[in-house]
This record gives sequence, C-alpha cells and structure tokens, in this order.
Amino acid sequence: MHTRNFSIIAHVDHGKSTLADRILERLGAMGERDKRDQTLDTLELERERGITIKSTPVRLTYTRPNGETYTLNLIDTPGHVDFNYEVSRSLAACEGVLLLVDASQGVEAQTIVNAYLAIDNNLEIVPVVNKIDLPAADPEGAARELEEVIGIPADQAIFASGKTGVGVDDILEAIVERIPEPPGDPDAPLKALIFDSFYDAYQGVILFVRVLEGTVRAKDAITLFSNGKSFDVDKVGTFSPGLVVGQELRAGAVGWIAASIKDIHDAQVGDTITAKDQPTTEPFPGFKPAQPVVFSGLYPTSTEDYRRLREALEKLKLNDAAFVFEPETSEALGFGFRCGFLGLLHAEIIQERLEREYDLDLIATAPAVVYRLTLTNGTVFETQNPAEFPTRDRIELMEEPYIKLSVMLPEEYVGPVMQLLVERRGSMITMNYVGKRVELLYEVPFAEILYDFHDRLKSISRGYASMDYEQIGYREGDLVKVDILVQAEVVDALAVIVHRDKAYSLGRKIVDKMAEVIPRQMFPVPIQATIGGKIIARATVKAYRKDVLAKCYGGDISRKKKLLDKQKKGKARMKNIGTVEVPQEAFLAVLSTEEG
Amino acid sequence: MTHPDPERTVRHLYVHVPFCPSICPYCDFHVLTRRAGQVEAYLRRLREEAHELAGRYDVDLDTVYLGGGTPSFLRDDEIADLVDAVRGTLGWGRAENTLEVNPGTVSPERAAHWRGLGFDRASVGVQSLDDDTLRFLGRRHDARGAAAAVTTLLERDFRVSGDLITAVPGQPLERDIDGLVSLGVEHVSAYTLTIEPGTEFARRGVTVAEEDEQRGFDVTARLLAERGFERYEVSNYARPGARSRHNLAYWTNRAYLGLGPGASGHYPVPGALTERRTNPHLHEWLTGDAGEAEPSAPEDYVTDALFMGLRLTDGVDLADLSRRAGLDVRARYGEVIEAERRAGRLTLDGDRLRTTDAGRWVLNDVVRSFLNA
Ligand SMILES: Nc1nc2c(ncn2[C@@H]2O[C@H](COP(=O)(O)OP(=O)(O)OP(=O)(O)O)[C@@H](O)[C@H]2O)c(=O)[nH]1
Ligand code: SF4
Ligand SMILES: [Mg+2]
Repeated sequence: MHTRNFSIIAHVDHGKSTLADRILERLGAMGERDKRDQTLDTLELERERGITIKSTPVRLTYTRPNGETYTLNLIDTPGHVDFNYEVSRSLAACEGVLLLVDASQGVEAQTIVNAYLAIDNNLEIVPVVNKIDLPAADPEGAARELEEVIGIPADQAIFASGKTGVGVDDILEAIVERIPEPPGDPDAPLKALIFDSFYDAYQGVILFVRVLEGTVRAKDAITLFSNGKSFDVDKVGTFSPGLVVGQELRAGAVGWIAASIKDIHDAQVGDTITAKDQPTTEPFPGFKPAQPVVFSGLYPTSTEDYRRLREALEKLKLNDAAFVFEPETSEALGFGFRCGFLGLLHAEIIQERLEREYDLDLIATAPAVVYRLTLTNGTVFETQNPAEFPTRDRIELMEEPYIKLSVMLPEEYVGPVMQLLVERRGSMITMNYVGKRVELLYEVPFAEILYDFHDRLKSISRGYASMDYEQIGYREGDLVKVDILVQAEVVDALAVIVHRDKAYSLGRKIVDKMAEVIPRQMFPVPIQATIGGKIIARATVKAYRKDVLAKCYGGDISRKKKLLDKQKKGKARMKNIGTVEVPQEAFLAVLSTEEG
Repeated sequence: MTHPDPERTVRHLYVHVPFCPSICPYCDFHVLTRRAGQVEAYLRRLREEAHELAGRYDVDLDTVYLGGGTPSFLRDDEIADLVDAVRGTLGWGRAENTLEVNPGTVSPERAAHWRGLGFDRASVGVQSLDDDTLRFLGRRHDARGAAAAVTTLLERDFRVSGDLITAVPGQPLERDIDGLVSLGVEHVSAYTLTIEPGTEFARRGVTVAEEDEQRGFDVTARLLAERGFERYEVSNYARPGARSRHNLAYWTNRAYLGLGPGASGHYPVPGALTERRTNPHLHEWLTGDAGEAEPSAPEDYVTDALFMGLRLTDGVDLADLSRRAGLDVRARYGEVIEAERRAGRLTLDGDRLRTTDAGRWVLNDVVRSFLNA
C-alpha cells in the first residue's frame, strides 16, 4: 500500500482546519456523530478561541478514481506565529505540504514563513488558493502573489473552498501525484523520529512518531537514542485523530507508540527511536530546539500547589516542547517557576492549559524579553528577570534583543504603520511591493512589539496588516529597571525592564492600571513607580467606600438582608502582598493597551 | 445546644402609620399622602389586626413605637382612636412608648395631648438646622420650626431623640450637631443621606460625595462623642441611660409585633424558632391580607442576629446567640470569624463579637461573608 505524508500549512485563519474537515468528510473519516467544525481542533481551548494551537495528525484512506488505494497521513498545523515550532516539527514527519492562501487576503506574513519552512525541509509544496466562495475572493490574484513572492508557479495552484468542498478532489489527486512516496526500508533496523508526545495517566508517555526505517510492533524492545534507555513497546497505532491501536508501524508511517514510559524526562521530542538489539548509529537530525523569547513567572495562588504545578509543567512540556521552566522564588509571590515561551499567546495558552487541564490557580507576572548585560568586571550574562537586574554602576553595556519584523499590508496604510514603527523605535530595512500590497521589513527592539503592538497594528490597518518576525540578535539600548511599590514596599514580582525613553509613560500606565484593578482596601494604598529610588509615577487605591445600611429598623430587616444575600461574593484570583489583595490583572498591568 | 430556646412572650410592638403630608425626595418607605376615607379605613382594620395579634400571641409589652410615615400627622381624635385600639387589645408599654414626630405638626396643646395618651418619648425628624439643607431635602419645616418643636416636647416632659441627615452636599455639619445638642435632646439618630433606587433623588441623579459620606459617618461620631453622646449603634447616639429600648429589641433580634400596612414583625413560633412576617401595602392590607411568613431556620436566625447585632457597639454575645438559635455559632462560622478578625473588621473578646471601626464602615460586606459561608 502507498502512503503520503503531508501537513496543511498557512497563515493564521486561512482555513487549514476547515479544509481538513472537508478532506476528512470526503474520505468518510468523519462520523455522523462527531460532525462539527474544525474536527482536528481537539483541545477545548482551540474550540473556544477558534484557533489551532497544537498540530494534529490523522490517518486517512484514499481510493483513487483508478482504484489504487493510498494511506494519507494529514497533519493540521497552527498558523499563529507563536506556534511555528509546532509546524516545523510536523514537517519533519512529512514529504509534502498543502500551502493554503486565503483567496480574499492573498499572501500574508506567515504564508511566506511557512512556505520557506517547507522549502528548507525539501518538501513538495501543493499550493491551494482557499475560500474561493467568498465574495471578495480573487483566486487569480492570490495565485499570482504566490508566484511573485515565493516563486511557486501560479498555474500549479488548486482553487478550493473549505466551506463548499470545491477542489477537494483535485487536492487529493495532487497529493498523490505530486508528493513523493516516503522513502525507507521496512526490513531495515528501526529508526523513528519522535515529533510530539503527551502524558497519559494509564499508559505513560504516548510518543508520536514518524517511522523512517524498519518496522515497530507491540512487544518490540526499543531504545531512545539520547539516553540509551530501553523500553518494551505495549502498543502501536495510528490517529483517527484519537488513538487507534494497530498491528505495526512500517517505514514511512506516522503513528504512536506506548511503551510504559513513566518518567517524563525520558521522552524528548526530536529524539530518535531505535531497536534495542540493532541500534542505529546515526540519529535523525531532529529539530533545533525552540528558543523561548518571552519569559514570565508562574506562581500558584496558594503555596500548597507548588508541587502540583511542577508536575503539571513537566507533563505539559511533553505536549509542548517549546516552553521551558525553572524554579524561581519571589519575595512577594513565594515559590514558583520562571517560564520561557515563544510569544505572548503561547504564554497565555500555557497558563490556561495549566489551569484547566491540571486544575490550578495561577498568578502570572508580566512577560519580559531576554536582555544581555556586560558588567564592569567583564562578565556577560543574559537575564529576563527584572529581579536579577544589577544596579547601574555595575553595568558596562546593556543590550536588548532585536527582531526583523515583516509587515504585509495594503498600500493605503503604509503611512500610519510606519509612524507606529517609529514610535516603537524601529528602523526600516526595505520595503517591497507585492501587487497592491507592501511588505515592510524593519528592525525593531523585540520588547516594543511584545505587548500591544499587534493590536495596534490591526486597529491602524483595520485588520488588513499581518506580521511575522524573527530574532536577529542584540543591539545596545539604554535600559532602566522600573520598580513598583505597593504601600511603600518594593514588590519584586512587579518590576519591569524598559528603555529609558519609555520608562515614564510605562510607569504611569502601570500604576494607573494597578490602582484601577486592585480592589479597594481598608485604607488608601499608594502605588508608586520608581527608577533607582526616584519616584516617577504614583496612584492611589482608594479605601473602601462606605458599605453599611444607614438605617436598619424593624420594618426593613427582611428586605434589606435579602439584598445582601443576593450580592454573593465572587472568588477572584488574588495574591496577598502585605495586607493588600492584589489580583492577577495587576501583575499584567504592563500589558494593558494605551487606550484602555 | 441542639434545641433552640426561643422566646415565648412578645414584649415589643411597632405600629406603622403610612401617611405623610408630602413625600420626601429621598424616602423609600412605604408611605402615602392621605386621602379622604383612607385614615378611617386604616383605623378600622388596625383595630381588627390588633385583636387578631392579641389572640395569637402571648403579649406583655415593654415598648411601643408608633412610626411611619408621619404618625403625628394624624388628627388628635384619630391618634386617640389608634391608642385606644392598641391599649384595649395588646396593652401599652411599661418602659417606653415612642411617637415619631414631624416638627411641623407640633404645638404645645398637641404635645400635651400625646403625653396624655401615654407617649413618653418623641423621635423628632429635625434632619438639619440649616434652612438650605432642609430645602434641599424637601422638608416643609425650617430650622426655627424644628428647634421650637424639640423645645415644646421637652417642656411637656418627653424624652426627645432628634433625627439628623448627614452627608448632604453643603451641609454645615458641625453647626447642625451643636444646634441639636444644645436644644437638649438625649438621643440622636444620624443617617448619612443614601440615594435609594426609585426615589426622586435617584431619578434626579443626585449623588453623595465620598468625602461627605466619610464626614457624615466619622465626624458626626467624633463631635457627638465630644459632647457626651455614646455611639451605641451604627447611626445612633445616646447620653448615658438614654438608649432606645425599643430599637434595641430589633438590634438584639428579639420578638416584636408589627401592626399596620408594611409593618413587619418577628414572631415567636411554638416549638420552633421565630418567623418574620411583613404586612403588605395599604390596599391589600385593608382586605385582611397578612402577608407571608418566613420561618427562620437556625442559620437564618443567626445571620439575622448578626446582621442586626453587629450594628451595636456592644456587639453580639455568641454564647447567648448559640443558645437561642440552637446552633453552635463558633463552630459553624469559625472560619469567617477568624478571617474577619485577621482582616481587622471584627474582634472577638471572650464570647463577644464586635465590629472594629473599619468593620463598621463596611458592615454589609462583613455580613455578606456570613451569608456566603
Ligand atoms: N467562506 C469561507 N470561510 C472559511 C473557509 N475556510 C475557513 N473559513 C472560515 O475561516 C475561519 C478560520 O478557519 P480555520 O479553519 O479555523 O482556519 P485555520 O487556518 O485552521 O486557523 P488557525 O489554525 O488558527 O491558523 C473560520 O471562521 C472558518 O469558518 C472557506 O473556504 N470559505
Ligand atoms: S416624612 Fe419620613 S416617611 Fe414621610 S416621606 Fe418624608 S422621609 Fe418618608
Ligand atoms: Mg486551524
């Protein structure tokens, strides 16, 4: 039997998951019962937010009009820039991709990035212009853009709609004809790549694998290349997208292995699996580990949950190889973890998954980027934790991370967007015209786009601009640490590092937001922002407003008591700092947008 | 401790007179301006209801309180008829009989008439001794009239309590307090102006400034303390020995009868705890509708008692309350009590649970903690 392994890649929202639905439907893989939109978005959070976070593989069977039967392993991938690492891991399991472009939007920032990921991996690209049912669709224009920007001949593009199902047959034929059969000898010694995994309470770690050489079956003894540990395989199988137990996985197959791996640390995504008795000497190159670029502290609201949080982080890391964590202690928040993420959405998603899937209540501190400091004694170190920021006199050189930012937008918004980029301390590299649209390439300090840049960009361009970025190293910057004081006490977990030019406005923004979100307390509470001990902004949390009935006599007791009874107290996520109850929003005050 | 120990005998009576000369813009009580024939119908039904209550409960009155509305707005013969109806059925208070009085209704003759009917205490709606403030509050009397009313009642040998409304924009609070004290009242009820939904002030969008509220609450307490008045309840102040015995019955969660439309009572129930009953408004009440009783389970009884009792400076005796309710209050509400103590809103001194100054300021929130527990 023939096999084709491919991922669906595209800019965010260009319809990957929806088109996958149509393909599943066409191949009879969608049970009447579980018919719903974006079937492959299986996480509750994905369904709520309407975006894909995790790549999801599914195995399908396709019988061509000429009667030949193919196994298709389809992997639906996320489009958001933060989850790009998911895409690159999925691609390691494939020989080809469906590159989707929304016919009404054209080529966007992540279309380009994902296309190059595929090219770099030597994958065959099947271009698909999607959503051609939309009134604003311009399929020919989108195909032309693919040719102009990425060099994919316009006449190769298949026009399709994930809504109506148009083009699905052509896509299936193209997959078979254009994407090569996976290489590999089923009789050779086993060699398989772990491209994802998750922890199952009963079966231990479930490994998602692409078999490169050989065959793996239940009861086989396997060895993990990185640590030499061996395990006996309990079960193997494929994805429906749920786990389906099978007989064996042969070279070229995409599937899963359960081998009672109970210690999470034994299963590294990117590792190579070999047969115990015939170990391979050459591991698969794997992928370069994702480099977290945004860091924040995660603390349990109640200290007893620290251990549970650690276990949860370890389990979640299995399913999301892109984030890192290490223990950290804060005077204000106690024991917690400093966590590194690929972006803000990634950070948000991790926090939410921890809270839902592991039933934890967490406080997250403001996200920060990694700074590089050269001290007067010559040592160089990197820090993302404002609490570790040394005093000014010990610093020789301060550097901050820069990104190369690419913004795709219609011509008419170029002026205001360039203005925004100047505000964000950006400098232009080039500007390219792509039909009626423009690609702006800028160098910008990463910290400047971290918080509200994307929202501003979207609002300035009425939603038409898209962006992507990559880290390009460090540049000198005049940085200061802004401390935040609550009731005249410095709260370490609230400190932020910021460029000197932005310190005053940021300090103002933080104290104002905090005064707004910290509930009124028994006494007025001053909130101050300081640099090196000098106060740069101040706001006050007011004392409680009077909340007592002036009059309470016989006639009114029942009625008034009932009023109180109705006003149930909500339970909020709070952390006590001294005598002040500080809610989660206060720790993220820095994220609030200028407008609100 | 599992058997509640309710009271059997009712010692307090509240009578509601729902008529006022005009409706004040801040008032959310159940009141009406009077119409022809209504007072007669009211008095007839009141007599019947008094009979019914007397037949149903073991009554031996310590205090009677005639409130409203504006009871002093009743004509001399009407109020005599009302007192007669009460005396002939439920009796009269041994210790304290209060009449709520509107300054505009007082004359030396009427004061003598009321005294003769058996009232010995008057609660006078002075509200302010500043004409602008009184006008803002929509009162019909002026400062001189209010002062004269208090003096007249004192001369007729009434114990007099003066009502003040504080936190009114522009009100000369210190002068009001000094003025009222120097008239010779022994008791002051000082309420911060509250804009209740549905009132004319609410419709007009009147608001009370936070600073005015704070002053009305704290400055009033300080000024009155300096002048020899003890704050014994959130809004009530008395010279030694002059506390309102009737109102204390509410705040200590005692049984009392409610007579008249909109009046509520807190009644003993044989073999169980108490029940609360609020009479319906005038029209239904005239037809004999007595409203619905709400029996109180031990927890209701306890939260009622705390809701009222924590208003008192003396607080609540938890051992006594546990005995009356048949519920170990410290066991049931230990966590709340502890949390509120740590937050500095309650203190527990032996069995006595009290609010701190901070706790009194946000007492609703303290009570909500108990209701949520
Ligand atoms: N009209 C129309 N709408 C579509 C089509 N395909 C997808 N959509 C809509 O576009 C939105 C995004 O669709 P998804 O399938 O979730 O897009 P995605 O590319 O998987 O998004 P991410 O995984 O978050 O990057 C949804 O509201 C879909 O209903 C299409 O062919 N026609
Ligand atoms: S006199 Fe008293 S009861 Fe009558 S309307 Fe005014 S505030 Fe209300
Ligand atoms: Mg998707």
